[in-house]
Amino acid sequence: MSALPAREAVSAVATLSARELTHRYSPRRGLDPVSFDLAGPGVTAVTGPNGSGKSTLLRIVAGLLRPSGGSCVLACEGRELPARARRPAIGLAAPDLSFYEEFTVGENLSFAAAARGLDEPRGRVRESLARVGLLARAAARADALSSGMRQRLRLAFALLHQPPVLLLDEPGSHLDDDGRVMVARLVGEHAERGLVLIATNEEREKTLAGHAIQLRGRGVGDPA
Amino acid sequence: MIWKVFLFAWIAAGMLAGFLWAPVVPVLGATTRVFYFHFPAALVTTLAFGWSMVHSALYLARRDLTHDDHAAGAADLGLLFCVVATISGSMWARAMWGAYWNWDPRETSVFFLLLIYAAYLALRAAIDGETRRARLAAIYSCVAFVTVPFLIFVVPRIYFSLHPDPLFGRRGKPDIDPRIMLVAAWMFAGFTALFFWLLSLRVRLGRVERCALKGMA
Amino acid sequence: MPATRSSSAGAVWAILRKECRSEWRTRYGLNSALLFAVTTLTSISFVVGKIADRTDILAALLWIVLVFAALASLAHTFVREVEGHTMTMLRLVASPTAIALGKLGFNLLFLGVLEAVTVPLFLVLVGGPPLHWDRFLAVLGLGSVALAAAATLVGAVIAQTRGRGALFAAVSLPILLPVLAGAVSGTRGQWNGAPIGAELRLLGAYAAALLGASLILYDHLWEE
Repeated sequence: MSALPAREAVSAVATLSARELTHRYSPRRGLDPVSFDLAGPGVTAVTGPNGSGKSTLLRIVAGLLRPSGGSCVLACEGRELPARARRPAIGLAAPDLSFYEEFTVGENLSFAAAARGLDEPRGRVRESLARVGLLARAAARADALSSGMRQRLRLAFALLHQPPVLLLDEPGSHLDDDGRVMVARLVGEHAERGLVLIATNEEREKTLAGHAIQLRGRGVGDPA
Repeated sequence: MIWKVFLFAWIAAGMLAGFLWAPVVPVLGATTRVFYFHFPAALVTTLAFGWSMVHSALYLARRDLTHDDHAAGAADLGLLFCVVATISGSMWARAMWGAYWNWDPRETSVFFLLLIYAAYLALRAAIDGETRRARLAAIYSCVAFVTVPFLIFVVPRIYFSLHPDPLFGRRGKPDIDPRIMLVAAWMFAGFTALFFWLLSLRVRLGRVERCALKGMA
Repeated sequence: MPATRSSSAGAVWAILRKECRSEWRTRYGLNSALLFAVTTLTSISFVVGKIADRTDILAALLWIVLVFAALASLAHTFVREVEGHTMTMLRLVASPTAIALGKLGFNLLFLGVLEAVTVPLFLVLVGGPPLHWDRFLAVLGLGSVALAAAATLVGAVIAQTRGRGALFAAVSLPILLPVLAGAVSGTRGQWNGAPIGAELRLLGAYAAALLGASLILYDHLWEE
């Protein structure tokens, strides 16, 4: 576990609030209106039945999806970030995040670092891989990874730029016990300085969180 | 209800006047009559195109799906009027110059418009999801907006030099009988009203469909 | 947030490098484009024979082969991202404009390579008088910029739809007609010794108009 140099400490004050935030993919699928206020360093779990919109909520917060209704305001150091400007402040690890199969693990992260314009990209990539336990696999092609290693790569990608806000969608999926311990450690480290949202139904992951946002959904089996 | 009847009567009166009351232009002979629906149709299709594009840009700026209804509805109707204009123009060309298609500048411009309409509607048909369809179709519409001035001014420059058109100056004739202009203007007004009426139906239908889907949710 | 070197220019460059490296690893796009061009040229040459004196037909044939080879291949940069599910990663590290500009740069390079093979092959197989290189390259250059600009924007739209190949060609052609008109006329003109100032102005103005519109529209490409 490495301590970060002081100049790279993640900025503390991130706030996230939502008012009647909702999104509809079709009449029966989507996120029902939800409102919440989150502030400062800490961990929040987003829970709810399958289909209640946990992943949708994370995508909206990340600025990847424009909601069909309501509002979502993210502010860092007092400055409000519109959806288009959230990229540097957000780290997202979600099941649908895929990497370039023809590149190695290291090349994928180097590309991400270069595109984000990070200082010392090589150092950051190495550090990120070390934190998720993938440093030994840096030269492996992305299509040669097992599902557990892919999940670690997603986490490394989310942490690469030390974002104030970390969004994790089912972070423990495909991971063995060592992996889950690693996730708990990463969440703990990050929560000292930034905001973490974990979308999950796993009891163990829910306990990492200080509080929870409950999404009421229709669930898979409900009648229309 | 009364307005529909009025519109029908207006257009019917215009057609009758065109065939029975207005005189013929000496050079064109009996084919003058086609002027009364070819020319208004061509103008309306251009108007429809502009309407569709403006609403596409408005949709991108405001994300109100009503603008998308206008854009799609105007494109549908514009295509219809464009087909009328192209076919009537082609029939006229056959009567005047002996060939159904000559690539004369105006024919070509209308044909390009037809291609763009068709491409826009084909694109819409290939996209699922209401907001995605509206957004991508609006982007294409704005690109087409850039293209159209070039198509209208490129065509005469490049092709006119190869295929000089003996009747190119015919619209500039200063001494067209005022009765002809009156009937043409009458028909243009009628076609325009018809376009806006059909468009309003289409927009209302779109709104009702969306409310119905929301109601089912 | 960690210190970053600025800007979008860095992201565009990183994406351009990534595209080149990806293409070099898989060579999927370039191979099929070159094969298409060579097959078409040899078929035409076989069927038509040498027509060295018909400069009007030669100009039209050359540009039709180039445009269709471009249409067969320029959308694949976006289609590859969609099929590989890497759009999420890309959108998290770079703005839509940076993504599109990086791919536009790649498409220009790609077109350059395609033309470097196709034009000499055309002159050898199908024939034609000697080129006035400066004027020909001016037409080729401006025409290619317009072609790449149109294909990049339309390709980005098409990659998100159900129809791909045929739809791309059908939807692009109306946008490409001014390019064809100007380029064919200009190519013929440089063979016949006619002035081509008007065609060059047309191609330049159209390329500028397309690029200008693209820069405004790129932002809206992937908003959901």
